[in-house]
Amino acid sequence: MITLTINDKEVSLDRPMSVLEAARQAGIKIPTLCYHEALKPYGGCRLCVVEVERMPKLQTACTLTAADGMVVRTESEMIAKVRRGILEFLLINHPLDCPYCDKAGECELQDLVNKYGATAGRYREEKRKVPESHKDHILTRNMERCIVCTRCVRMCNDVQGASAIAMMGRGGHTRMEPFSSASFNCEYCGNCLSVCPVGAILSRLYIHSFRPWQVDTEVETVCSYCGVGCSMVVQVRDDLIKRVVPRMGLGLNRGLLCSRGRFGYEYIHSQDRLKTPLVRRNGKLEQATWSEALRHVAERLTGIKKADGGSAIAGIASARCTNEENYVFQKFMRMACGSNNIDSLSRAGFAAAQKYLEELLGQGITANMIEGLKNSEVILVAGGDPGTVNPVLGLAIREAFRRGAKVAVVGHARGLERFTSIRLTPPLFREEEFLEELLAGVSRVRGLRGEKLDVDRGIRAISDAYPGISGLEGFDELKHALLDSPSTSIVLGSGLVQHSRGHRAIFAVAGLTYLLEARLYLLAERPNEQGLIDMGCVPEMLPGGRPLNNHDYTRKFEEAWGGPIPEEDGMTLMEIMEGAKEGRVRALYIMGDNPLVNLPGGPLIEEALKALDFLVVQDMFLTETGRMADVVLPAVGWSEKSGTYTNIERRIQLLRKAVGNSSGMEDWKIINDVSGMMGYPMAYEDAESIMDEIARVSPLYRDLTYREIGKGNSLWPYHGEPLRGEIHELPAAVNGTGSYTANFYLAPEKVLFHSGTTSRHSQALMRICPEPVLRIGPAAADTLGVREGDRVKVSTSSGSGEFPLSIDRTISDNRVLLSNNFEGSGVLRLMSYRLDPVTRAPGIEGCEATITRL
Amino acid sequence: MFNDTVVKEIDDIKSRYPDRKSALLPSLYVAQREFGWLSSEAMESVARALNVPESVVRGTATFYAMFRHAPAGRHVIQLCTNVSCMILGAEQLVDFLKSKYGLTPGGTTEDGRFSLVIMECIGACGTAPAMLVDTDFHDNLSEKRIEEILEKYK
Ligand code: SF4
Ligand code: SF4
Ligand code: SF4
Ligand code: FES
Ligand code: FES
Repeated sequence: MITLTINDKEVSLDRPMSVLEAARQAGIKIPTLCYHEALKPYGGCRLCVVEVERMPKLQTACTLTAADGMVVRTESEMIAKVRRGILEFLLINHPLDCPYCDKAGECELQDLVNKYGATAGRYREEKRKVPESHKDHILTRNMERCIVCTRCVRMCNDVQGASAIAMMGRGGHTRMEPFSSASFNCEYCGNCLSVCPVGAILSRLYIHSFRPWQVDTEVETVCSYCGVGCSMVVQVRDDLIKRVVPRMGLGLNRGLLCSRGRFGYEYIHSQDRLKTPLVRRNGKLEQATWSEALRHVAERLTGIKKADGGSAIAGIASARCTNEENYVFQKFMRMACGSNNIDSLSRAGFAAAQKYLEELLGQGITANMIEGLKNSEVILVAGGDPGTVNPVLGLAIREAFRRGAKVAVVGHARGLERFTSIRLTPPLFREEEFLEELLAGVSRVRGLRGEKLDVDRGIRAISDAYPGISGLEGFDELKHALLDSPSTSIVLGSGLVQHSRGHRAIFAVAGLTYLLEARLYLLAERPNEQGLIDMGCVPEMLPGGRPLNNHDYTRKFEEAWGGPIPEEDGMTLMEIMEGAKEGRVRALYIMGDNPLVNLPGGPLIEEALKALDFLVVQDMFLTETGRMADVVLPAVGWSEKSGTYTNIERRIQLLRKAVGNSSGMEDWKIINDVSGMMGYPMAYEDAESIMDEIARVSPLYRDLTYREIGKGNSLWPYHGEPLRGEIHELPAAVNGTGSYTANFYLAPEKVLFHSGTTSRHSQALMRICPEPVLRIGPAAADTLGVREGDRVKVSTSSGSGEFPLSIDRTISDNRVLLSNNFEGSGVLRLMSYRLDPVTRAPGIEGCEATITRL
Repeated sequence: MFNDTVVKEIDDIKSRYPDRKSALLPSLYVAQREFGWLSSEAMESVARALNVPESVVRGTATFYAMFRHAPAGRHVIQLCTNVSCMILGAEQLVDFLKSKYGLTPGGTTEDGRFSLVIMECIGACGTAPAMLVDTDFHDNLSEKRIEEILEKYK
């Protein structure tokens, strides 16, 4: 225990820390400029000087480690004089343009000068002139105001890891440059902006549009873009979101955000939002009132149910929607429509993997804290780029790397380019064999674990089929690293799941997780992929992951829901589409998704949707799928509603309403009303009343309340009872593989700046990344004789498109990447699919493409 | 981009340091020698060769005075004008370079043969005035000697 005296107050510390932190802990404020809690101490500004007994000179509190018996003074005549002097020096160059600067009111320099002076400067020389730069899409830079505290540089280098900012020049002419420009890899996280103490870095999204003190309300909520679930604060004025800011120390992201979370909020106020319900009359979608539209939906669904039974109706839920909405949705499908045909687009990735993993290893196997990545010694990343899919999780991996962890990347992960220790490039689309080989190699040394006999059996079959050695570069290094590692994490992305042999990759990952007792993380592109499954939006499971075929479980739900749950097995996503095409599914109800764009097999999906008798789409925008619907119902989004999301750690977090000016309705409310008209009244009052019901009926959420969730620590397994795994299917015999000999293969690219429908309506994100770009490796570019920026035509058996080309040094094989985030030009519609027999995910591997220069 | 010999040279530099950032200054010298000055391309080449972020390369390159950020002549004259050299006539030598070669401090001759940089003390006070031409050291300068010396640099 260290005890020191600060301003006559005795302060005891339970861990080593700086004098500055010790003072803060004791509630004593020491002024700072270069110190920031998210960054390493720097000792540059000297503002935090304090007097320490028996030390001859003033000391910087931020860099001085508190020692036992120290006697510290943080304010004195001399200290005040020094601080005044420092501030006077800073103001030699800092312009006095506070009335015009957006930072005024929350500027650390302004506050300090206010407190310590100097009220007048003594320097007569000219101030340094640097024109304000508006060249960037998002960040305005005013280097006249920069006080060279280097917080932005340290943030960008040491925390974000983008290394996009450097101190340029020297002395009085030092400036911070260049933030953003393609070659410097700015990731537009805006984290530099949140640490700049002055108005040197500002956001163009709200420049000159309000003053910090004019904010009406501030709402703490979570991000709606990905499965990390970062905490953030939405600041509102006149019912408009003015900006989204992080709060240091808040939530699992501790004040860090990515570009989507921070700058992607504009879609809420987009002019393109649906304003009224639309109903198809004489072949055209026309405006309708809510009561007309809802009645129409109820009548048509009732009619189809009467004529062909509930199984002619299917529902697609959404990982963009809250737990409450998804719960109500599946209850509606099961109880009002009488159908278990309920799935979501998460089936094409997260849900497929998650469900199979849990069958193998038990419920909760992926419930690991993101923080845990930072403490791992070895991190194996396969099937996706954490840096773009789940950026803030990617930062944890970068941090682990900097700390000395070995990061092994299988395939391609641009966001980890400078953070990879072992790069493995197994033959394209045969990554599952590589993972099986690795599993065989590990099990040879480790042996089986004997805890889960079925899994052991599967591992034995694999190690019988493989030698467990491989000539692949990095294989041995990785194998030994894994075997020696005291703490291993495995990160699995959907790239390996969207594969007709995806279950084999998933099994291999499960096997490695099991043998190495590793922490497993599943990347999740949408905010509520986990919650969606937990709420029962899968055909075979009820809320809490309780299997439908078990009467002990169903009985309880039937009692609570007041009626029988349909017994017929439900269809999974692609089966619903195929069923629609064949006429077995006549009505489809889609909540918050756009399958026409977000699913492969474009022509088939289009045919399926056309063949339907009745299609309802609930969304915030008129999407491509919405245009084909019979009824379109405007929903509200993220900051307009309350509810909960379950993130990839299975932490349940509260989404809080911040604005409410749109004409949409909450998804649960729409369904609630339709259900009532169909003779199955639900009568929920608000999202909280839905959670109350969930907490009552589902054994996993027992006793959960918003009060508790609001504290941010609702961690797995809550107060509930997780289920142990029950294996249905082990991987098929390990011999089948494909052969891939074409020149180019098309694959989807996840773009850091986009997610899909919502990001497309966020102007800032569109400015950063306005159009799809085809990415190819340098070797492929040489063969084709193409250069950066050339326009090329890509053709597959399903169609073609023209795109500008970009050469990506991190692609070392013959894959060609194209994003799926732009209207009318998605990559998925150029791809056909084959279902994985176990996970039922659409496999999109091996999409041969030809590329021609235009 | 660097040619193979230079890549080898930089690999050799890398092998002398425990981490890549430490190899930055010597590599920047190599780049300056190869490109004549630190153009964007030169700094990018260093970043690639060392796998150090370009921002770090730029930050470092702009901090030190010995790196050039504009094209220079084939030969760079660094003439000292600090106290000892000044007393012994360095300022006249500056004038001489101007009248004879049209060379002003910071400037380059029209034919691209010489650039002139005014230096702080180069430690040759005892034999002042002194200058460096590229990396060659010359002292006891006079107008005549300068003329003779520069003859050797084409
Ligand atoms: S926005 Fe992020 S990546 Fe870009 S300069 Fe700022 S901290 Fe660096
Ligand atoms: S731009 Fe802001 S954060 Fe960066 S050094 Fe200048 S004052 Fe500090
Ligand atoms: S990492 Fe995910 S949750 Fe966090 S800000 Fe980015 S998109 Fe939002
Ligand atoms: S805060 Fe301690 S020196 Fe800047
Ligand atoms: S003053 Fe010129 S060399 Fe010292």
